[in-house]
Amino acid sequence: MKRRRRTRILIEGNPILAKRLSETITATYEWKEIIAPHYGLTMVKMRESAKNSLFYIGEVLITEAKIEINGAIGIGIVEGMKEQIARQLAIIDAAYNANLPETQGWGADLLLEEVRINEQKALEQTKLFETKVDFQTMEMDS
Amino acid sequence: MGYVAVKGGTKAIEASMERLTYERLKEQEIIEVETIMATMKSLIDQVMSESSLYSPFLAALAIKQAEGSMEEAVFLLRAHRSTLPRLYTSETVEPETMFVERRISASFKDIPGGQLLGATKDYTHRLLDFNLLEEDKTQITTWLKNFENNLEQTEGKVTYFPKVVDYLREEGLFETYPLNDTAPIDITKESLSFPASRSARLQVLTRGQTGAVTALGYASLRGYGQVHPTVGEVRVGRLPIHTAHPVEGSGNPEDDFYIGEIRVTEIESFVPITKKNGRNEEKLEFEIGYGICYGQNETKAIAMSILDQCLDHPEGDFPTHDEEFVLLHIDSVEATGFISHLKLPHYVTFQSKLDSVRQIKRGVSDDES
Repeated sequence: MKRRRRTRILIEGNPILAKRLSETITATYEWKEIIAPHYGLTMVKMRESAKNSLFYIGEVLITEAKIEINGAIGIGIVEGMKEQIARQLAIIDAAYNANLPETQGWGADLLLEEVRINEQKALEQTKLFETKVDFQTMEMDS
Repeated sequence: MGYVAVKGGTKAIEASMERLTYERLKEQEIIEVETIMATMKSLIDQVMSESSLYSPFLAALAIKQAEGSMEEAVFLLRAHRSTLPRLYTSETVEPETMFVERRISASFKDIPGGQLLGATKDYTHRLLDFNLLEEDKTQITTWLKNFENNLEQTEGKVTYFPKVVDYLREEGLFETYPLNDTAPIDITKESLSFPASRSARLQVLTRGQTGAVTALGYASLRGYGQVHPTVGEVRVGRLPIHTAHPVEGSGNPEDDFYIGEIRVTEIESFVPITKKNGRNEEKLEFEIGYGICYGQNETKAIAMSILDQCLDHPEGDFPTHDEEFVLLHIDSVEATGFISHLKLPHYVTFQSKLDSVRQIKRGVSDDES
């Protein structure tokens, strides 16, 4: 599974999943913390929809970590102040970059969690749809 | 005007700071940062937007430290931001990827996908609710349980909404612009110069002080400007943020990192504009004023959309169409900082002014005698 999809599942999903997958790796392989979880900023570049040009809306606080396993470096980045998940994400990223055999078996778990996330979002949206409004214009006396 | 430093007063300043702590603690009540995060969302949204740093936790901490003073909280967060390294710049966030929580139009009754009121105070009675004085956790738990259980069948997949203006563009009622990927100016890295680029203008407006942006937008509506829009679309929702690998780059978006979501308010205002065609005949067209800010702050975002459109037409003979006037006076830290510095010691400069006045008066009385 590619990084974009995988990181969304690990960040939006149940935190137990990232913890479990990263522990599978740290229990078996030697790992080195290249950069311990630390705080920094990501500048957010947006497209405005009036003239389709780009601008910066502002910065987002993030936590970043870097881990090395078998010579492969993994990066964990997450919005907010979240040291544990940043480190776990970096370990999982390093595991994928090092092509560790454990990663082959993670697809099913990740897909299952993705289904659950999407169901949760759909549920949230269904609840929001209760506020869908049907305004009727009133007749005017001539 | 020259400045001369003062010295001394250390003991008094230390005592003053101790007094400040005393004023904060004397009622012996503690508000947790988590409580502020859970109950003061609008305040947090404003602080994040004006300080240009998205972090609900740090905004709540700043509010606690500032004891609810907006200008102080924004100052604290801006100062803290300057201590942090910028590690990444996100990939372009496309507005259509928003998970919409609220979407309304003042221009059309029926919009494709429908209008979602979401959570809004627009239709509430503005009466103080004294029941809140008696609120307790058991009540809250029961209310939440009922709210969450009372759910219709889910549709199973998330809907992403098209923009209202897309349909009007298809009809040829609004001009269509190709994607413009020119790298934006970052006003935190280079000084604002005039004429400002569109990207610089939008960045200044989105981090502007809510009251200042609102006041200038209002002034324009009242006649000190030439823009009176109809709000085409208001959106409140969450945008996903991705960033490319720092070494591999952004060759394949599927290899990007998802880092989380930011909640924003986005406005497109429709503004009628009279233009002359090739035969020098006047014709009516529509343009879009764009507004966006962190969190849910619809008044600020609408006012921003008015000012965006004002500044797009610098020929307007009003200060709200003058980008130096607007962009240099709406920043919270700059405006409150400059105003509040007036209360700090100015002894030498004021004494020199007094001396000048005394000399003039002495001159006048010498002449009279």
